[in-house]
Formats: sequence, C-alpha cells, structure tokens
Amino acid sequence: MHDTERLRLVVGTAPAPEVAAARKVLVVDDEPELLEALCTYLRDEGFAVLCAGDGPAAVEQFGEHLPDLVILDINLPGFSGTEVLRRIRLVRDVPVILLSARVHEVDRVVGLELGADDYVVKPFSPREVVARVKSVLRRAERGERRSSWKERRVGAISIDTVAHEVHVNGKPVTVTPTQFRILDVLSSHVGQTLTRDQLLACVSGEGDVFDRTLDRHIANLRARIEPDPANPRHILTVFGVGYKMVDPA
Amino acid sequence: MTVLHDIRNHLAVAIANVEGFRDGVLEPSPKRLDAVLHALSQVDTLLSSRPDNRTLDDRGPT
Repeated sequence: MHDTERLRLVVGTAPAPEVAAARKVLVVDDEPELLEALCTYLRDEGFAVLCAGDGPAAVEQFGEHLPDLVILDINLPGFSGTEVLRRIRLVRDVPVILLSARVHEVDRVVGLELGADDYVVKPFSPREVVARVKSVLRRAERGERRSSWKERRVGAISIDTVAHEVHVNGKPVTVTPTQFRILDVLSSHVGQTLTRDQLLACVSGEGDVFDRTLDRHIANLRARIEPDPANPRHILTVFGVGYKMVDPA
Repeated sequence: MTVLHDIRNHLAVAIANVEGFRDGVLEPSPKRLDAVLHALSQVDTLLSSRPDNRTLDDRGPT
C-alpha cells in the first residue's frame, strides 16, 4: 500500500461551492448504474455533467463539449481509458481523475504514462469523488497542476507535447508516434531509470511494440536526436534494467 | 481481468447506489434496487466460484 500512498495526490477537504458552479464534467464508465449514480451526485453539486459508456463515446463527447474535467474509468469497451486519455490530451490538457478497480494499473498510468491528476480506486464513495473533483479543479484554477502540456527541454532536445514536435538544437526532427511516446515518457522523468517493462507499458496499444523491438525504437530514436548516435548522451542505456534520459550539460 | 477486479466493480455499483439512497441523492427505485441486488449476487457468485482465495490476485500479469 506504500505505492498507493506515495502516488496519492493532495486532496482538499473544504470545497468552495462557487468552484462547482457551471463547470463541465465528463464522466466515463461502462457500468450504467455506477455512471448514473456518479452523474447524479455531480449534478446535485451544480456541475454540468456529460456521460459516456465507452471509449469512442468519451472521445466524441470530449471533442464536442470540451469539459473542464474528465472522470475516466480505465477499463472500457471500445478502447481503453488509457487510450481515451491519450486522445483527449491531444485535444486539450484538462484535469483527469481516473477510476480503477486495480491499484496496480493506476500506479502505472498515474505515475508514469500520461500524468492523470488524481485517481480513485473502486469501490468508492461518490461523495469522495465529488470532493476530489472540486479539489482538482481548484488546483487547476490556481495553476498548480503538474502539466504534461508545455514544451520540455532536455539538453539539446526540446519536446512539444501539444504539437507533437521535436527539435534538436532548434532544428525540427521527424519521429514516429512510437518514438515520440518513448521520448515523451523518458523526458518527463529525466534522471530516472525506466525499466523496459515500464517503457513497453507506455507504448503498448501501438500494436507494433514487442520487447525486442524496444531496443530498435530506442536505436532509431537516438539516430534522430543524438548528435552522435554511437555515443548517446541524452538517452542512456542502464544495462540489465532499461533506459534513462539525462541532460548532458 | 482478475476476480478481485470484477468484485470491486460490482461493489462499486452497490456502494455508489446505496450511498445515493442514504444521502437522498438517488431515488431507491425498483430498477436501482434491482441493480444493487444484482451487483451483490454477482459478488456472491464470484466468491463462490473461487473457493481458493489465493487466486484473488490483485496484480495483473507482470
């Protein structure tokens, strides 16, 4: 349970009612009775609530209504909550609270992959979820979110996670979506060794990534971004474990 | 999908609804009461089908 505690983000207790006013919240869960209960609680609190029961509906609702916050179940029919999270992040960087019945799964997604803002493990108290929603929105309004949104710079490399662009010494470099995702994850954990499993988990769902091909993706990525790919200085191999990104300066 | 995962999902349905009844947020309609009963009986079924609780593994395949 230590991991859970470590990853648990700060949760406020005394939500100001005016924060709730007219905020749009999208709730995504494939259990209709749970979805309805959660949506009713949020409506009662004055939120404008949108509901979706699967991945495609979630993405559609998101694009159409641009909610201020998304509550997202990780296990969804259609495509997974993780995929939904990826797609909505491409549109807009809104706060996301994950729902999951598996702590293990939440660890991976919140801790590493796309930076959800908070999570709630099932079964939960709907009132607690409402409190989290208010707390996350308040943090977002104060600009206290750790954002996956801005341009990131590591040594000679800059990564724009919105435009999906990579520049090396100011010059644009083309990378594949899988390479970008690997770079995105590595660059958001500079100095930290990420295991092969962690990196694979982040790029799974691409359909073309297997354990052995991770090395090839890294090699190709180095060829694009390292001034001297034979002597990488940004993406380092940690033998027997995985890879880490460092600022060579 | 582990057994524990399924159990938690069914419990989530039951708890969210019963809390809603208690808080006066949800009307305890026959449909909702049926949903709660169904969720709880699913938990019972899952527990009965796996008498060996060593298989109630929270962690997915690693």
